[in-house]
Amino acid sequence: MSAPPLPDVQVTGLRKSFRVAGAAVEAVSGLDLTVQAGEVFGLLGPNGAGKTTTLRILTTLLPADSGTAQVAGADVLRAPAAVRRRIGYVGQLGGADKEATGRENLMLAGRLYGLSAAGARRRCAELASVFDLDAIADRSVRTYSGGQRRRLEVALGIMHRPQVLFLDEPTTGLDPQNRANLWTQLRMLRDGGTTIFLTTHYLDEADQLCDRVAIIDYGRVIAIGSPEELKQRYSADTITVTAEAAPDVLDAVAAELAAVPAISRAVVESGAGLGLTIRLTVTDATRAMAAVFGALAALGIPTRDASVARPTLDDVFLGETGRSLRDAGSPDGADADVEEVAA
Amino acid sequence: MTAFAVQTGLFFRRKLLETLRQPVWIITGLTTPVLYLALFAPLLRSLAGGPAFPPGPVLDVFLPGIMVLIAFGAGMGAGWPVIWELDSGVIERLRVTPASRLALLLGTVLRDIVMFAVPGVVVIAAGAAFGYQVHWGGILLLFVLLALLTAACSATSSALGLKLRQIGSLAAVVTGAQLPLTLLAGILLPLSLGPAWLRVLGHVNPMYYAVQAARSLAAGSVGTGTVGLGFLVTGVIAVLAVCWGTRAYQRAMA
Repeated sequence: MSAPPLPDVQVTGLRKSFRVAGAAVEAVSGLDLTVQAGEVFGLLGPNGAGKTTTLRILTTLLPADSGTAQVAGADVLRAPAAVRRRIGYVGQLGGADKEATGRENLMLAGRLYGLSAAGARRRCAELASVFDLDAIADRSVRTYSGGQRRRLEVALGIMHRPQVLFLDEPTTGLDPQNRANLWTQLRMLRDGGTTIFLTTHYLDEADQLCDRVAIIDYGRVIAIGSPEELKQRYSADTITVTAEAAPDVLDAVAAELAAVPAISRAVVESGAGLGLTIRLTVTDATRAMAAVFGALAALGIPTRDASVARPTLDDVFLGETGRSLRDAGSPDGADADVEEVAA
Repeated sequence: MTAFAVQTGLFFRRKLLETLRQPVWIITGLTTPVLYLALFAPLLRSLAGGPAFPPGPVLDVFLPGIMVLIAFGAGMGAGWPVIWELDSGVIERLRVTPASRLALLLGTVLRDIVMFAVPGVVVIAAGAAFGYQVHWGGILLLFVLLALLTAACSATSSALGLKLRQIGSLAAVVTGAQLPLTLLAGILLPLSLGPAWLRVLGHVNPMYYAVQAARSLAAGSVGTGTVGLGFLVTGVIAVLAVCWGTRAYQRAMA
Protein backbone atom coordinates (compact mmCIF):
# COMPACT_ATOMS: atom_id res chain seq x y z
CA MET A 1 0.00 0.00 0.00
CA SER A 2 1.45 3.35 -0.95
CA ALA A 3 0.74 6.43 1.15
CA PRO A 4 -1.99 8.72 -0.22
CA PRO A 5 -0.50 11.59 -2.27
CA LEU A 6 0.26 14.78 -0.37
CA PRO A 7 -2.26 17.57 -0.91
CA ASP A 8 -1.07 20.27 -3.32
CA VAL A 9 -2.41 23.09 -1.19
CA GLN A 10 -2.81 22.92 2.56
CA VAL A 11 -3.83 26.00 4.46
CA THR A 12 -4.33 26.19 8.23
CA GLY A 13 -5.49 29.15 10.27
CA LEU A 14 -4.41 31.68 7.70
CA ARG A 15 -4.85 35.33 8.72
CA LYS A 16 -4.03 38.61 7.06
CA SER A 17 -5.16 42.10 7.92
CA PHE A 18 -4.53 45.45 6.35
CA ARG A 19 -4.64 48.90 7.85
CA VAL A 20 -7.25 51.01 6.15
CA ALA A 21 -7.61 54.59 7.33
CA GLY A 22 -5.95 53.72 10.63
CA ALA A 23 -8.17 50.74 11.39
CA ALA A 24 -7.18 47.09 10.93
CA VAL A 25 -9.37 45.27 8.43
CA GLU A 26 -9.06 41.52 8.45
CA ALA A 27 -9.15 40.32 4.83
CA VAL A 28 -8.43 36.68 5.67
CA SER A 29 -9.50 35.52 9.11
CA GLY A 30 -8.64 31.96 9.99
CA LEU A 31 -8.86 30.24 6.62
CA ASP A 32 -8.48 26.44 6.44
CA LEU A 33 -8.56 24.38 3.27
CA THR A 34 -6.94 21.45 1.52
CA VAL A 35 -6.68 20.88 -2.22
CA GLN A 36 -5.72 17.44 -3.52
CA ALA A 37 -3.42 16.92 -6.49
CA GLY A 38 -5.26 16.90 -9.80
CA GLU A 39 -8.34 18.85 -8.65
CA VAL A 40 -9.92 21.94 -10.12
CA PHE A 41 -10.56 23.86 -6.93
CA GLY A 42 -12.57 27.07 -6.78
CA LEU A 43 -12.68 29.81 -4.20
CA LEU A 44 -16.14 31.35 -4.56
CA GLY A 45 -17.22 34.49 -2.78
CA PRO A 46 -18.41 38.05 -3.20
CA ASN A 47 -16.00 40.91 -3.88
CA GLY A 48 -14.04 41.74 -0.76
CA ALA A 49 -14.40 38.22 0.66
CA GLY A 50 -10.63 37.76 0.70
CA LYS A 51 -10.23 35.64 -2.44
CA THR A 52 -7.47 37.70 -4.03
CA THR A 53 -5.62 38.16 -0.75
CA THR A 54 -5.67 34.40 -0.18
CA LEU A 55 -4.37 33.78 -3.68
CA ARG A 56 -1.59 36.34 -3.17
CA ILE A 57 -0.51 34.62 0.02
CA LEU A 58 -0.47 31.20 -1.68
CA THR A 59 1.58 32.52 -4.60
CA THR A 60 4.24 34.12 -2.31
CA LEU A 61 3.26 37.66 -3.28
CA LEU A 62 2.12 38.55 0.20
CA PRO A 63 3.21 37.29 3.63
CA ALA A 64 0.44 36.09 5.95
CA ASP A 65 0.18 37.49 9.48
CA SER A 66 -0.24 34.01 10.95
CA GLY A 67 -1.17 30.48 10.02
CA THR A 68 0.60 28.19 7.58
CA ALA A 69 0.29 27.47 3.89
CA GLN A 70 1.97 24.58 2.07
CA VAL A 71 1.86 24.76 -1.70
CA ALA A 72 3.19 22.02 -3.98
CA GLY A 73 5.03 20.49 -1.05
CA ALA A 74 6.79 23.63 0.20
CA ASP A 75 6.00 26.30 2.80
CA VAL A 76 5.17 29.64 1.17
CA LEU A 77 6.88 31.64 3.91
CA ARG A 78 9.94 29.46 4.56
CA ALA A 79 10.64 28.22 1.03
CA PRO A 80 9.12 30.78 -1.38
CA ALA A 81 11.72 30.00 -4.06
CA ALA A 82 10.71 26.32 -4.14
CA VAL A 83 7.02 27.28 -4.31
CA ARG A 84 7.67 29.72 -7.17
CA ARG A 85 9.40 27.07 -9.24
CA ARG A 86 6.43 24.71 -8.93
CA ILE A 87 3.50 27.02 -9.45
CA GLY A 88 2.07 29.07 -12.28
CA TYR A 89 0.04 32.23 -11.77
CA VAL A 90 -2.46 34.07 -13.92
CA GLY A 91 -3.39 37.29 -12.14
CA GLN A 92 -6.50 39.38 -12.48
CA LEU A 93 -4.57 42.04 -14.38
CA GLY A 94 -3.11 39.45 -16.74
CA GLY A 95 0.45 40.67 -16.74
CA ALA A 96 1.36 40.22 -20.38
CA ASP A 97 3.83 42.78 -21.67
CA LYS A 98 1.60 44.68 -24.09
CA GLU A 99 4.30 46.21 -26.26
CA ALA A 100 6.06 42.89 -26.77
CA THR A 101 4.80 40.12 -29.04
CA GLY A 102 3.10 37.02 -27.72
CA ARG A 103 6.15 34.95 -28.58
CA GLU A 104 8.54 37.34 -26.82
CA ASN A 105 6.35 37.13 -23.72
CA LEU A 106 6.31 33.33 -23.79
CA MET A 107 10.04 33.02 -24.46
CA LEU A 108 10.90 35.31 -21.55
CA ALA A 109 8.62 33.40 -19.18
CA GLY A 110 10.12 30.07 -20.24
CA ARG A 111 13.69 31.27 -19.90
CA LEU A 112 13.01 32.79 -16.46
CA TYR A 113 11.88 29.35 -15.29
CA GLY A 114 15.16 27.90 -16.47
CA LEU A 115 14.21 26.44 -19.85
CA SER A 116 16.97 26.55 -22.46
CA ALA A 117 16.38 28.78 -25.48
CA ALA A 118 15.63 25.71 -27.61
CA GLY A 119 13.40 24.22 -24.91
CA ALA A 120 11.48 27.47 -24.55
CA ARG A 121 11.02 27.68 -28.34
CA ARG A 122 9.61 24.14 -28.45
CA ARG A 123 7.25 24.76 -25.54
CA CYS A 124 6.21 28.08 -27.06
CA ALA A 125 5.30 26.39 -30.35
CA GLU A 126 3.40 23.70 -28.48
CA LEU A 127 1.34 26.17 -26.43
CA ALA A 128 0.75 28.48 -29.38
CA SER A 129 -0.97 25.59 -31.10
CA VAL A 130 -2.92 24.41 -28.01
CA PHE A 131 -4.17 27.93 -27.28
CA ASP A 132 -4.74 28.82 -30.91
CA LEU A 133 -2.16 31.62 -30.91
CA ASP A 134 -0.15 30.54 -33.96
CA ALA A 135 -1.45 33.22 -36.27
CA ILE A 136 -0.92 36.09 -33.81
CA ALA A 137 2.19 34.99 -31.91
CA ASP A 138 4.40 37.54 -33.65
CA ARG A 139 2.05 40.47 -33.22
CA SER A 140 2.30 42.94 -30.37
CA VAL A 141 -0.04 41.96 -27.52
CA ARG A 142 -1.59 45.43 -27.76
CA THR A 143 -3.40 44.26 -30.91
CA TYR A 144 -4.95 41.15 -29.26
CA SER A 145 -8.64 40.80 -28.46
CA GLY A 146 -9.67 40.15 -24.85
CA GLY A 147 -10.02 36.42 -25.46
CA GLN A 148 -6.68 36.17 -27.26
CA ARG A 149 -4.92 38.00 -24.48
CA ARG A 150 -6.42 35.77 -21.80
CA ARG A 151 -5.30 32.67 -23.73
CA LEU A 152 -1.78 34.08 -23.94
CA GLU A 153 -1.81 34.86 -20.23
CA VAL A 154 -2.84 31.32 -19.33
CA ALA A 155 -0.12 30.00 -21.67
CA LEU A 156 2.39 32.30 -19.86
CA GLY A 157 1.36 30.70 -16.57
CA ILE A 158 2.07 27.15 -17.75
CA MET A 159 5.22 27.55 -19.89
CA HIS A 160 7.18 25.61 -17.25
CA ARG A 161 4.51 22.89 -16.71
CA PRO A 162 3.74 23.89 -13.13
CA GLN A 163 2.42 21.41 -10.61
CA VAL A 164 -0.25 23.88 -9.45
CA LEU A 165 -1.76 26.65 -11.55
CA PHE A 166 -3.38 29.60 -9.76
CA LEU A 167 -5.86 31.82 -11.59
CA ASP A 168 -7.48 34.95 -10.16
CA GLU A 169 -10.93 35.53 -11.68
CA PRO A 170 -9.83 33.98 -14.99
CA THR A 171 -12.99 34.60 -17.01
CA THR A 172 -13.96 38.06 -15.80
CA GLY A 173 -14.60 40.22 -18.83
CA LEU A 174 -14.72 37.34 -21.32
CA ASP A 175 -17.69 36.72 -23.62
CA PRO A 176 -19.58 33.40 -23.20
CA GLN A 177 -17.78 31.66 -26.04
CA ASN A 178 -14.32 32.56 -24.79
CA ARG A 179 -15.34 31.54 -21.27
CA ALA A 180 -16.44 28.13 -22.50
CA ASN A 181 -13.18 27.73 -24.44
CA LEU A 182 -11.13 28.61 -21.39
CA TRP A 183 -13.05 26.11 -19.27
CA THR A 184 -12.31 23.41 -21.83
CA GLN A 185 -8.62 24.28 -21.79
CA LEU A 186 -8.48 24.27 -18.00
CA ARG A 187 -10.15 20.86 -17.89
CA MET A 188 -7.57 19.60 -20.39
CA LEU A 189 -4.81 20.86 -18.12
CA ARG A 190 -6.42 19.11 -15.17
CA ASP A 191 -6.63 15.88 -17.18
CA GLY A 192 -2.92 16.28 -17.88
CA GLY A 193 -2.28 16.24 -14.13
CA THR A 194 -2.08 19.95 -13.26
CA THR A 195 -3.83 21.00 -10.07
CA ILE A 196 -5.91 24.12 -10.68
CA PHE A 197 -6.78 26.66 -7.99
CA LEU A 198 -8.97 29.54 -9.08
CA THR A 199 -11.05 32.32 -7.60
CA THR A 200 -14.38 33.33 -9.04
CA HIS A 201 -17.50 35.23 -8.17
CA TYR A 202 -19.47 33.47 -10.91
CA LEU A 203 -21.82 30.77 -9.60
CA ASP A 204 -21.92 28.88 -12.87
CA GLU A 205 -18.15 28.85 -13.14
CA ALA A 206 -17.76 27.33 -9.69
CA ASP A 207 -20.60 24.93 -10.43
CA GLN A 208 -19.57 23.68 -13.86
CA LEU A 209 -15.79 23.94 -13.87
CA CYS A 210 -14.73 23.07 -10.33
CA ASP A 211 -14.42 19.61 -8.81
CA ARG A 212 -14.60 21.17 -5.37
CA VAL A 213 -15.56 24.60 -4.17
CA ALA A 214 -14.89 26.56 -0.99
CA ILE A 215 -17.40 29.32 -0.47
CA ILE A 216 -15.81 32.14 1.49
CA ASP A 217 -17.19 35.21 3.16
CA TYR A 218 -15.38 37.75 5.34
CA GLY A 219 -12.12 35.84 4.95
CA ARG A 220 -13.25 32.43 6.17
CA VAL A 221 -14.61 29.27 4.60
CA ILE A 222 -18.34 28.90 5.19
CA ALA A 223 -18.84 25.76 3.10
CA ILE A 224 -16.57 23.37 1.24
CA GLY A 225 -17.23 20.36 -0.97
CA SER A 226 -18.15 19.36 -4.50
CA PRO A 227 -20.82 21.63 -6.04
CA GLU A 228 -23.33 18.73 -6.01
CA GLU A 229 -22.65 17.92 -2.37
CA LEU A 230 -22.97 21.53 -1.32
CA LYS A 231 -26.22 22.08 -3.12
CA GLN A 232 -27.74 18.92 -1.67
CA ARG A 233 -26.49 19.63 1.82
CA TYR A 234 -27.73 23.17 1.94
CA SER A 235 -30.85 23.20 -0.12
CA ALA A 236 -33.17 21.06 -2.17
CA ASP A 237 -35.06 21.13 -5.45
CA THR A 238 -38.25 23.13 -5.66
CA ILE A 239 -41.27 21.98 -7.69
CA THR A 240 -44.00 24.43 -8.55
CA VAL A 241 -47.26 22.99 -9.88
CA THR A 242 -50.30 24.92 -10.99
CA ALA A 243 -53.49 22.89 -10.90
CA GLU A 244 -57.21 23.49 -11.49
CA ALA A 245 -59.35 22.89 -8.41
CA ALA A 246 -61.78 24.66 -6.14
CA PRO A 247 -60.22 26.26 -3.03
CA ASP A 248 -62.07 23.82 -0.72
CA VAL A 249 -59.81 20.91 -1.73
CA LEU A 250 -56.72 22.78 -0.44
CA ASP A 251 -56.41 20.82 2.77
CA ALA A 252 -56.99 17.46 1.12
CA VAL A 253 -54.26 18.15 -1.43
CA ALA A 254 -51.84 19.33 1.21
CA ALA A 255 -52.45 16.24 3.35
CA GLU A 256 -52.06 13.92 0.38
CA LEU A 257 -48.76 15.50 -0.71
CA ALA A 258 -47.26 15.66 2.78
CA ALA A 259 -47.57 11.87 2.88
CA VAL A 260 -45.23 11.43 -0.13
CA PRO A 261 -41.77 10.42 1.23
CA ALA A 262 -39.72 12.46 -1.29
CA ILE A 263 -41.47 15.69 -0.30
CA SER A 264 -40.10 17.50 2.72
CA ARG A 265 -42.37 20.53 2.62
CA ALA A 266 -45.56 21.34 0.76
CA VAL A 267 -47.21 24.74 0.50
CA VAL A 268 -50.57 24.94 -1.26
CA GLU A 269 -52.08 28.32 -2.06
CA SER A 270 -55.22 29.18 -3.91
CA GLY A 271 -54.59 31.26 -6.98
CA ALA A 272 -56.91 33.23 -9.23
CA GLY A 273 -60.24 31.55 -10.04
CA LEU A 274 -60.06 27.78 -10.10
CA GLY A 275 -56.27 27.74 -9.63
CA LEU A 276 -54.02 26.18 -7.02
CA THR A 277 -50.34 26.91 -6.74
CA ILE A 278 -48.46 24.12 -5.05
CA ARG A 279 -44.87 24.74 -3.97
CA LEU A 280 -42.95 21.68 -2.90
CA THR A 281 -39.50 21.32 -1.41
CA VAL A 282 -38.17 17.93 -2.39
CA THR A 283 -34.97 15.90 -2.13
CA ASP A 284 -35.30 14.19 -5.49
CA ALA A 285 -37.26 16.11 -8.09
CA THR A 286 -37.67 13.23 -10.55
CA ARG A 287 -39.24 10.84 -8.04
CA ALA A 288 -41.30 13.55 -6.36
CA MET A 289 -42.69 14.78 -9.66
CA ALA A 290 -44.20 11.36 -10.46
CA ALA A 291 -45.65 11.14 -6.95
CA VAL A 292 -47.20 14.63 -7.20
CA PHE A 293 -48.85 13.88 -10.53
CA GLY A 294 -50.08 10.55 -9.14
CA ALA A 295 -51.58 12.21 -6.05
CA LEU A 296 -53.28 14.95 -8.03
CA ALA A 297 -54.68 12.41 -10.52
CA ALA A 298 -56.05 10.34 -7.65
CA LEU A 299 -57.96 13.41 -6.39
CA GLY A 300 -59.21 14.09 -9.91
CA ILE A 301 -57.40 17.43 -10.19
CA PRO A 302 -56.03 18.34 -13.66
CA THR A 303 -52.58 20.05 -13.76
CA ARG A 304 -51.96 23.09 -15.90
CA ASP A 305 -48.27 23.72 -15.49
CA ALA A 306 -45.25 22.32 -13.68
CA SER A 307 -41.65 23.43 -13.27
CA VAL A 308 -38.57 22.29 -11.36
CA ALA A 309 -35.92 24.66 -9.97
CA ARG A 310 -32.55 23.09 -9.19
CA PRO A 311 -30.68 24.56 -6.23
CA THR A 312 -27.75 26.83 -6.98
CA LEU A 313 -24.61 27.64 -5.03
CA ASP A 314 -26.30 30.95 -4.31
CA ASP A 315 -28.82 29.03 -2.19
CA VAL A 316 -25.88 27.67 -0.23
CA PHE A 317 -24.49 31.16 0.31
CA LEU A 318 -27.95 32.43 1.20
CA GLY A 319 -28.46 29.55 3.63
CA GLU A 320 -25.19 30.27 5.43
CA THR A 321 -25.10 34.07 5.45
CA GLY A 322 -28.69 35.18 4.92
CA ARG A 323 -27.49 37.26 1.97
CA SER A 324 -27.47 36.52 -1.73
CA LEU A 325 -24.06 36.23 -3.35
CA ARG A 326 -25.14 38.66 -6.02
CA ASP A 327 -25.85 41.39 -3.48
CA ALA A 328 -23.12 40.61 -0.98
CA GLY A 329 -19.75 42.29 -0.81
CA SER A 330 -18.66 45.69 -1.86
CA PRO A 331 -18.57 46.99 -5.41
CA ASP A 332 -16.03 45.64 -7.89
CA GLY A 333 -12.43 45.99 -6.97
CA ALA A 334 -12.90 46.55 -3.24
CA ASP A 335 -10.62 43.61 -2.57
CA ALA A 336 -7.84 45.26 -4.49
CA ASP A 337 -8.53 48.63 -2.89
CA VAL A 338 -7.91 47.29 0.59
CA GLU A 339 -4.44 46.19 -0.43
CA GLU A 340 -3.79 49.34 -2.36
CA VAL A 341 -4.13 51.37 0.83
CA ALA A 342 -2.22 48.89 2.93
CA ALA A 343 0.93 48.71 0.84
CA MET B 1 25.21 32.78 -10.27
CA THR B 2 24.84 31.73 -13.89
CA ALA B 3 21.04 31.71 -13.54
CA PHE B 4 21.33 35.22 -12.15
CA ALA B 5 23.48 36.35 -15.10
CA VAL B 6 21.03 34.78 -17.59
CA GLN B 7 18.09 36.49 -15.90
CA THR B 8 19.85 39.85 -15.85
CA GLY B 9 20.60 39.43 -19.54
CA LEU B 10 16.97 38.55 -20.29
CA PHE B 11 15.63 41.56 -18.41
CA PHE B 12 18.23 43.83 -20.04
CA ARG B 13 17.17 42.61 -23.48
CA ARG B 14 13.51 43.11 -22.61
CA LYS B 15 14.12 46.71 -21.51
CA LEU B 16 16.33 47.46 -24.49
CA LEU B 17 13.57 46.24 -26.84
CA GLU B 18 11.11 48.45 -24.95
CA THR B 19 13.30 51.47 -25.76
CA LEU B 20 13.99 50.48 -29.36
CA ARG B 21 10.25 50.24 -29.98
CA GLN B 22 10.00 53.97 -29.17
CA PRO B 23 12.26 55.72 -31.69
CA VAL B 24 11.14 59.16 -30.47
CA TRP B 25 13.12 58.75 -27.27
CA ILE B 26 16.21 57.72 -29.15
CA ILE B 27 16.05 60.76 -31.41
CA THR B 28 15.48 63.30 -28.64
CA GLY B 29 18.01 61.49 -26.48
CA LEU B 30 20.62 62.15 -29.15
CA THR B 31 19.61 65.62 -30.30
CA THR B 32 19.07 67.31 -26.92
CA PRO B 33 22.71 67.08 -25.78
CA VAL B 34 23.98 68.23 -29.13
CA LEU B 35 21.62 71.21 -28.99
CA TYR B 36 23.02 72.09 -25.54
CA LEU B 37 26.47 72.13 -27.08
CA ALA B 38 25.42 74.23 -30.06
CA LEU B 39 23.11 76.70 -28.29
CA PHE B 40 24.34 76.96 -24.70
CA ALA B 41 28.11 76.63 -24.99
CA PRO B 42 28.47 79.91 -26.94
CA LEU B 43 26.86 81.77 -23.98
CA LEU B 44 29.56 80.48 -21.68
CA ARG B 45 32.40 81.63 -23.86
CA SER B 46 31.94 85.22 -22.74
CA LEU B 47 32.07 84.12 -19.07
CA ALA B 48 35.33 82.27 -19.54
CA GLY B 49 38.32 84.04 -18.15
CA GLY B 50 36.02 86.18 -15.99
CA PRO B 51 36.08 86.26 -12.19
CA ALA B 52 35.41 82.95 -10.38
CA PHE B 53 35.13 80.96 -13.58
CA PRO B 54 37.32 77.86 -13.41
CA PRO B 55 40.45 78.18 -15.44
CA GLY B 56 40.92 76.21 -18.63
CA PRO B 57 38.95 75.90 -21.86
CA VAL B 58 35.18 76.42 -21.59
CA LEU B 59 34.30 72.97 -22.92
CA ASP B 60 36.37 71.30 -20.17
CA VAL B 61 33.88 72.86 -17.75
CA PHE B 62 30.73 72.58 -19.81
CA LEU B 63 31.03 69.18 -21.50
CA PRO B 64 31.17 67.16 -18.25
CA GLY B 65 28.12 69.11 -17.07
CA ILE B 66 26.13 67.95 -20.09
CA MET B 67 27.38 64.40 -19.57
CA VAL B 68 26.11 64.44 -15.96
CA LEU B 69 22.78 65.80 -17.18
CA ILE B 70 22.47 62.95 -19.70
CA ALA B 71 23.30 60.40 -17.01
CA PHE B 72 20.72 61.92 -14.66
CA GLY B 73 18.05 61.99 -17.37
CA ALA B 74 18.76 58.45 -18.61
CA GLY B 75 18.47 57.06 -15.08
CA MET B 76 15.55 59.10 -13.79
CA GLY B 77 13.26 57.90 -16.60
CA ALA B 78 13.19 54.36 -15.23
CA GLY B 79 10.26 54.88 -12.86
CA TRP B 80 7.55 55.64 -15.42
CA PRO B 81 7.47 52.24 -17.15
CA VAL B 82 7.60 50.64 -13.69
CA ILE B 83 4.22 52.23 -12.90
CA TRP B 84 2.75 51.02 -16.22
CA GLU B 85 4.04 47.56 -15.42
CA LEU B 86 2.48 47.65 -11.96
CA ASP B 87 -0.86 48.69 -13.45
CA SER B 88 -0.84 45.97 -16.11
CA GLY B 89 0.22 43.21 -13.71
CA VAL B 90 3.58 42.57 -15.41
CA ILE B 91 5.54 43.05 -12.20
CA GLU B 92 3.14 40.88 -10.24
CA ARG B 93 3.58 38.11 -12.81
CA LEU B 94 7.37 38.43 -12.80
CA ARG B 95 7.40 38.34 -8.99
CA VAL B 96 5.73 34.93 -9.01
CA THR B 97 8.55 33.53 -11.17
CA PRO B 98 11.76 32.37 -9.46
CA ALA B 99 13.62 35.27 -11.14
CA SER B 100 15.95 37.29 -8.93
CA ARG B 101 14.60 40.70 -7.92
CA LEU B 102 18.08 42.14 -8.24
CA ALA B 103 18.25 40.86 -11.83
CA LEU B 104 14.88 42.48 -12.50
CA LEU B 105 16.23 45.83 -11.29
CA LEU B 106 19.62 45.48 -12.99
CA GLY B 107 18.02 44.80 -16.38
CA THR B 108 16.64 48.33 -16.27
CA VAL B 109 19.83 49.79 -14.78
CA LEU B 110 21.97 48.31 -17.57
CA ARG B 111 19.57 49.55 -20.26
CA ASP B 112 19.76 53.05 -18.75
CA ILE B 113 23.56 52.91 -18.74
CA VAL B 114 23.41 52.20 -22.48
CA MET B 115 20.95 55.06 -22.84
CA PHE B 116 23.54 57.30 -21.18
CA ALA B 117 26.60 55.93 -22.95
CA VAL B 118 25.35 56.19 -26.54
CA PRO B 119 24.43 59.90 -26.46
CA GLY B 120 27.51 60.40 -24.26
CA VAL B 121 29.78 59.22 -27.05
CA VAL B 122 27.93 61.48 -29.50
CA VAL B 123 28.45 64.47 -27.21
CA ILE B 124 32.15 63.80 -26.80
CA ALA B 125 32.51 63.43 -30.57
CA ALA B 126 30.54 66.63 -31.18
CA GLY B 127 32.55 68.39 -28.47
CA ALA B 128 35.76 67.35 -30.19
CA ALA B 129 34.40 68.91 -33.37
CA PHE B 130 33.72 72.14 -31.42
CA GLY B 131 37.32 72.17 -30.21
CA TYR B 132 37.32 70.04 -27.05
CA GLN B 133 40.57 68.28 -26.58
CA VAL B 134 39.88 64.61 -25.72
CA HIS B 135 41.92 63.09 -22.88
CA TRP B 136 41.36 59.36 -23.43
CA GLY B 137 42.17 58.02 -19.99
CA GLY B 138 40.09 60.68 -18.31
CA ILE B 139 37.14 60.16 -20.68
CA LEU B 140 37.14 56.43 -20.08
CA LEU B 141 36.99 56.93 -16.31
CA LEU B 142 34.38 59.64 -16.83
CA PHE B 143 32.10 57.07 -18.51
CA VAL B 144 32.63 54.64 -15.63
CA LEU B 145 31.86 57.31 -13.04
CA LEU B 146 28.72 58.47 -14.82
CA ALA B 147 27.59 54.88 -15.42
CA LEU B 148 27.56 54.61 -11.62
CA LEU B 149 25.56 57.84 -11.41
CA THR B 150 23.10 56.53 -14.01
CA ALA B 151 22.75 53.32 -11.98
CA ALA B 152 22.05 55.32 -8.81
CA CYS B 153 19.41 57.44 -10.56
CA SER B 154 17.83 54.47 -12.35
CA ALA B 155 17.52 52.35 -9.20
CA THR B 156 16.17 55.34 -7.25
CA SER B 157 13.60 56.09 -9.93
CA SER B 158 12.46 52.44 -10.08
CA ALA B 159 12.16 52.33 -6.30
CA LEU B 160 10.19 55.59 -6.30
CA GLY B 161 7.88 54.25 -9.01
CA LEU B 162 7.25 51.06 -7.01
CA LYS B 163 6.60 53.03 -3.81
CA LEU B 164 4.53 55.90 -5.19
CA ARG B 165 2.62 53.91 -7.84
CA GLN B 166 1.11 57.05 -9.36
CA ILE B 167 2.52 58.81 -12.42
CA GLY B 168 1.57 62.19 -10.94
CA SER B 169 3.36 61.62 -7.64
CA LEU B 170 6.47 60.31 -9.37
CA ALA B 171 6.56 63.29 -11.72
CA ALA B 172 6.20 65.68 -8.78
CA VAL B 173 9.03 64.06 -6.82
CA VAL B 174 11.41 63.73 -9.78
CA THR B 175 10.92 67.24 -11.19
CA GLY B 176 10.88 68.65 -7.66
CA ALA B 177 14.23 67.03 -6.91
CA GLN B 178 15.76 67.71 -10.31
CA LEU B 179 16.14 71.48 -10.00
CA PRO B 180 17.89 71.64 -6.60
CA LEU B 181 19.99 68.56 -7.39
CA THR B 182 21.26 69.87 -10.72
CA LEU B 183 21.61 73.54 -9.70
CA LEU B 184 23.40 72.69 -6.46
CA ALA B 185 25.75 70.37 -8.32
CA GLY B 186 26.88 73.22 -10.57
CA ILE B 187 26.11 71.26 -13.66
CA LEU B 188 25.47 74.06 -16.16
CA LEU B 189 27.14 76.92 -14.35
CA PRO B 190 29.94 76.19 -11.88
CA LEU B 191 29.10 76.86 -8.22
CA SER B 192 32.29 78.86 -7.94
CA LEU B 193 30.34 81.67 -9.63
CA GLY B 194 27.92 81.76 -6.68
CA PRO B 195 28.15 83.16 -3.11
CA ALA B 196 29.70 81.21 -0.27
CA TRP B 197 26.39 79.88 1.15
CA LEU B 198 25.52 78.36 -2.22
CA ARG B 199 28.89 76.63 -2.38
CA VAL B 200 28.41 75.26 1.16
CA LEU B 201 24.95 73.96 0.21
CA GLY B 202 26.47 72.25 -2.82
CA HIS B 203 28.59 70.07 -0.57
CA VAL B 204 25.45 68.47 0.86
CA ASN B 205 24.41 67.34 -2.61
CA PRO B 206 25.89 63.95 -3.52
CA MET B 207 25.77 64.84 -7.21
CA TYR B 208 28.13 67.76 -6.61
CA TYR B 209 31.02 65.34 -6.10
CA ALA B 210 30.27 63.49 -9.32
CA VAL B 211 30.24 66.80 -11.23
CA GLN B 212 33.53 67.95 -9.68
CA ALA B 213 35.17 64.62 -10.47
CA ALA B 214 33.75 64.67 -14.00
CA ARG B 215 35.30 68.13 -14.63
CA SER B 216 38.64 66.93 -13.36
CA LEU B 217 38.49 63.84 -15.56
CA ALA B 218 37.38 65.75 -18.65
CA ALA B 219 40.36 68.07 -18.24
CA GLY B 220 42.63 65.04 -18.10
CA SER B 221 43.59 65.13 -14.41
CA VAL B 222 42.95 61.55 -13.38
CA GLY B 223 44.77 60.98 -10.12
CA THR B 224 43.26 63.79 -8.06
CA GLY B 225 41.51 63.62 -4.69
CA THR B 226 38.45 65.16 -6.35
CA VAL B 227 38.20 62.14 -8.64
CA GLY B 228 38.62 59.71 -5.75
CA LEU B 229 35.94 61.45 -3.70
CA GLY B 230 33.61 61.53 -6.70
CA PHE B 231 33.94 57.77 -7.22
CA LEU B 232 33.52 57.08 -3.50
CA VAL B 233 30.35 59.18 -3.04
CA THR B 234 28.75 58.08 -6.32
CA GLY B 235 29.65 54.42 -5.73
CA VAL B 236 28.16 54.38 -2.24
CA ILE B 237 24.97 56.10 -3.44
CA ALA B 238 24.68 53.61 -6.33
CA VAL B 239 25.00 50.60 -4.00
CA LEU B 240 22.43 52.05 -1.58
CA ALA B 241 20.02 52.84 -4.41
CA VAL B 242 20.33 49.32 -5.89
CA CYS B 243 19.63 47.80 -2.46
CA TRP B 244 16.60 50.05 -2.07
CA GLY B 245 15.30 49.21 -5.55
CA THR B 246 15.73 45.47 -4.99
CA ARG B 247 13.83 45.67 -1.70
CA ALA B 248 11.07 47.63 -3.40
CA TYR B 249 10.73 44.86 -6.01
CA GLN B 250 10.59 42.25 -3.24
CA ARG B 251 7.67 44.03 -1.63
CA ALA B 252 5.85 45.53 -4.60
CA MET B 253 2.13 44.82 -4.74
CA ALA B 254 -0.04 45.69 -7.66
